[in-house]
Amino acid sequence: MPVPALALLGLLQQPAQSPAAAPSPVARIVVSPSDPVVAAMDTLRLTGRALDAQGNEVPGVRVRFQQAGGWFEGAVDTTGLVRAGATGMLPVAAVAVVPGTRPFVERVGVRMVPSAAARVAVEGLPATLVVGQRVAPTATAYSAQADRREDRVRWTSSAPGVVSVRDGIVVAAAPGRAVLTAEAGSAKATVPVTVVATRVASVEVSPGTAPAAGWRTGDVLRFRAVAKDAQGRAIPGVTPTWSFSPGQGQIDPDGAFVGYEARPYTVTASLGDRSATAVVTLAARDVRRPATIVGRLPRERFNTEEVWLHPTEQVAYLGSGGGGDVMYAIDISNPAAPTVTDSIVSNTRRVNDVMTTKDGKHLVFTREGASDRRNGIVVASLEDPRHPKVLSEYTETVTAGVHSAFVYTQPKHGTHVYLTNDGTGALHVIDLNDPSKPKEVATWKTPRPDFAGDAGRSLHDIDVQDGLLYASYWNDGLVILDVGNGVKGGSPSNPVLVSQFKYDLNDMYRQVEAAGGPGFIRGTHTAWRHKNYVFIADEVFPSEGVKGAPANSAAGGRAYGRLQVIDVSDMQNPKSVAWYEPEMGGVHNVWVAGDTLYMGAYNGGFRAFDVSGELRGDLRAQAREMVHVHTADPAGRVKNTPMTWGVVVRDGLAYVNDMYNGLWIVRMEPSKAPKPKVMQ
Amino acid sequence: MSARGPLAPALALALCAAAGPAAAQEYTVLVASEATDQIAVVRFGPRLGAGGTPAAKVETSRTVGLNPMDPDGPHGLAFAPDGRSYFVSTAHGAPYGSLWRFDAATGETLGRVELGLFPATLQVSPDGAAAYVVNFNLHGEMVPSSVSVVGLATSAGGGEELVEIARIPTCAMPHGSRLTADGSRHYSACMMDDLLVEIDTRTLAVSRHFLLTKGKEQGMPGAPMVRRGAHAGHDMGGHGMDAPKAGETVCSPTWAQPTPDGRSVYVACNKTSEIVEVDAATWALKRRIAAGDGVYNLAITRDAKLLVATNKRGRSVSVFDAASGKELARIPTLRRVVHGVAVSPDDRYAFVSVEGVGSEPGTLEVIDLATRQRVASADVGQMAGGVDVIAAARP
Repeated sequence: MPVPALALLGLLQQPAQSPAAAPSPVARIVVSPSDPVVAAMDTLRLTGRALDAQGNEVPGVRVRFQQAGGWFEGAVDTTGLVRAGATGMLPVAAVAVVPGTRPFVERVGVRMVPSAAARVAVEGLPATLVVGQRVAPTATAYSAQADRREDRVRWTSSAPGVVSVRDGIVVAAAPGRAVLTAEAGSAKATVPVTVVATRVASVEVSPGTAPAAGWRTGDVLRFRAVAKDAQGRAIPGVTPTWSFSPGQGQIDPDGAFVGYEARPYTVTASLGDRSATAVVTLAARDVRRPATIVGRLPRERFNTEEVWLHPTEQVAYLGSGGGGDVMYAIDISNPAAPTVTDSIVSNTRRVNDVMTTKDGKHLVFTREGASDRRNGIVVASLEDPRHPKVLSEYTETVTAGVHSAFVYTQPKHGTHVYLTNDGTGALHVIDLNDPSKPKEVATWKTPRPDFAGDAGRSLHDIDVQDGLLYASYWNDGLVILDVGNGVKGGSPSNPVLVSQFKYDLNDMYRQVEAAGGPGFIRGTHTAWRHKNYVFIADEVFPSEGVKGAPANSAAGGRAYGRLQVIDVSDMQNPKSVAWYEPEMGGVHNVWVAGDTLYMGAYNGGFRAFDVSGELRGDLRAQAREMVHVHTADPAGRVKNTPMTWGVVVRDGLAYVNDMYNGLWIVRMEPSKAPKPKVMQ
Repeated sequence: MSARGPLAPALALALCAAAGPAAAQEYTVLVASEATDQIAVVRFGPRLGAGGTPAAKVETSRTVGLNPMDPDGPHGLAFAPDGRSYFVSTAHGAPYGSLWRFDAATGETLGRVELGLFPATLQVSPDGAAAYVVNFNLHGEMVPSSVSVVGLATSAGGGEELVEIARIPTCAMPHGSRLTADGSRHYSACMMDDLLVEIDTRTLAVSRHFLLTKGKEQGMPGAPMVRRGAHAGHDMGGHGMDAPKAGETVCSPTWAQPTPDGRSVYVACNKTSEIVEVDAATWALKRRIAAGDGVYNLAITRDAKLLVATNKRGRSVSVFDAASGKELARIPTLRRVVHGVAVSPDDRYAFVSVEGVGSEPGTLEVIDLATRQRVASADVGQMAGGVDVIAAARP
């Protein structure tokens, strides 16, 4: 950055024993433009004039601009040149320095908005309509960077006598063809529409075949509607407008309905002046069940971090943090009495992640906070799983620290460790085919504008399945790479981008900013592929806790966060279809076994919920939660406070690690739910 | 870590005068623990222990940082000259670190400003008008970094706010910085460029730089040339912990300490285990002083008689006669990885932070500069680094 000019001269020229600097003559800084707005991937020049209390310009003052937040999204240099790398708010401090006086600062916020509309996406507009049918499609404008815009989209019809659009409502007036155009700026989408001459005489609605046990809350019912003419013949290609009442739930334009309450719902399909209804009654999902704490291994010396199980032996491995330099090996052959059999003490102050190779012969754990600042990973031999021995380490390119590591073996490529780099936000791939000599074979990181450097890039966690790597890339969302699957020709030494799922973190967690102020912590934290879904969970903390709360108390603050269910059946176009937010907690690490998702929910304790079948909407509202254990301990490292980290599941037991309260071994008992009421 | 500015001795003397004999003076020491996000508030008194013996006691520990899950890494620490507030640099970030200001009595946060990559050593100017913080830039590409200058501004709403008023480019891995007693010049060392850099605080620009490599010592005007890519990558010798190779000539400077009269600058050469004295007037090498293994941080008494050096690899603290360069004492430390040192305002004690290794606690060790012996210690959070001291007010 350039050295400040003469405006700063003399700031420190006063004698050393002079009193504190005099008040600034500046009473106000007028920044132009007054309401600064810049498009993402564009620049804006800010200028400032320093005025005194009478509104006169103070001579000889240069206003210096300084970024005061929003580092992930953009930058401003001292001359006031704003570079927007993403949408959001860029807080800027305009500073005026008059020699011998205190600096004067005025805050401005630069709104970074999506760039010009580059495309318009239309959803919910059937290609075939019947006379009298009214539908309300959505038309959304997106920028070239795929940022959603707030444009009011303008609709026109090539044949208003056939199909007209008013206030976003499409009305089919007469048989014929028309092309509807949705425009935002210079972007537009065209949709050909046919209005069939056949009059709808009747509509029939059915929810599909009910399962033997009947429909339950959270089940996705695929309603179908059949329109018939006066002769009772089906009219092909027409799509009704769906609605339901009463109660809470969700119905999508394709007729997929999910109800949240155990009650009757009336689902209606409308086609022009005809409609039909079907009544479905949902029973309570009744998946809630009791839990038993089978065993515990309290840890009070350090925070407890990652837990991992040996693939074949009854041995668990447990990391430590908050200054912890130890990884424990624990005999869990008697889950009621887990026993430490050995440990590895390393030059680290955090063992955040632990994982074994698939064959159970080796183990990798991460290091952060080494006294010589050479962090990285440690590779241990598991010749005797109860007594791991250090075999090698890899530090060279990841001295800044490694937060997460994922060990993955592919027949074609052998075993590799996929690492996060704390310093640069890059993915590093380490060849572990010779565990005694780990070597780096590739690095990869999300692209950013040159001016941003590594700013805002943070890789937090990694999951690999079927040769596809799911990277939780904080501000950059979920990133899917081919590291051997072949879909993009990737390999461990040549990771290739498959797709990316970004979402508006600031908008999603507006209430966190409202509670604790701007600059809060939020980002895509973890990912887990399961069937055609990827579960992604965010780590979210307010920038300030509750004022006046006692230190280290549960009153001081809480985690927030949402788990999203991303449908990746179309891998190129990941789509969020469902979500879950625990009560009073966050969403940290997850584990999926069978049709159950297990979660460490920070303040929210250990939770498990049912992810069977198709997933849509709010999973908590659907009463899919099965188990909750509040992992607090009056004798914990932090007393009476859960901070549940994650879980590993095997043989019906959940091995739950809590940062403040050590290891918990929990069994989910059979359901004791009351028999469902008989619905009439 | 900072030596007190001219106002501080006055404050200390006033307190001493009010309290009686100097020997009974007590001190408030702050120690930053990078691994645990803790600031330990330690009280030391020569009669605080049982039976009137010297003792250091941790009065409280304060948490600093934004992220409750990941370390923010408090590194540099300095009292304001009036002792009413203190500043802490948090080095870790995503990716940028911050400078924080706290109320010394209550620990309440008074302000925060984001700075560059890995803000580390810091000092407040003698007039209290500005804080100087080196942006160490520990991770990533070895490119020239900077020194941030932070002032306390009046905000449009009438409150106070920390603002960065300058960011001065210097060289790769700036570290160990100190101001002259009159606040007119600021010195920092660049570990990866083997340079001592002088900033003129009147112009807030680099005025001179000095090459410290043994046999190639040379003073030069202006700012160093940008040598992008000419550094040794991530090999920084285990951050001062690796033994140098035989015949090593690279200084790898980790601290710059001007003398109270501003005529000389001492530089700790961590690799060659020497202290280089540079003549500030002629900007030429004055002498090389053999030092302890891995000499790391420096502090000098206000009477300019004693130079105190931490020996990072040597697990000890050295006390030198500044005039002759003679090592008067080498005091072993209780734990490994010796880090910072601050001298009490009355020149009586040196307070040394020791990082420890792994789960070892950090340590504050107190050395009596009259007897040159350790007289007290206290365990603090792990990876203890930044340290500063003021005379404590009487209870």
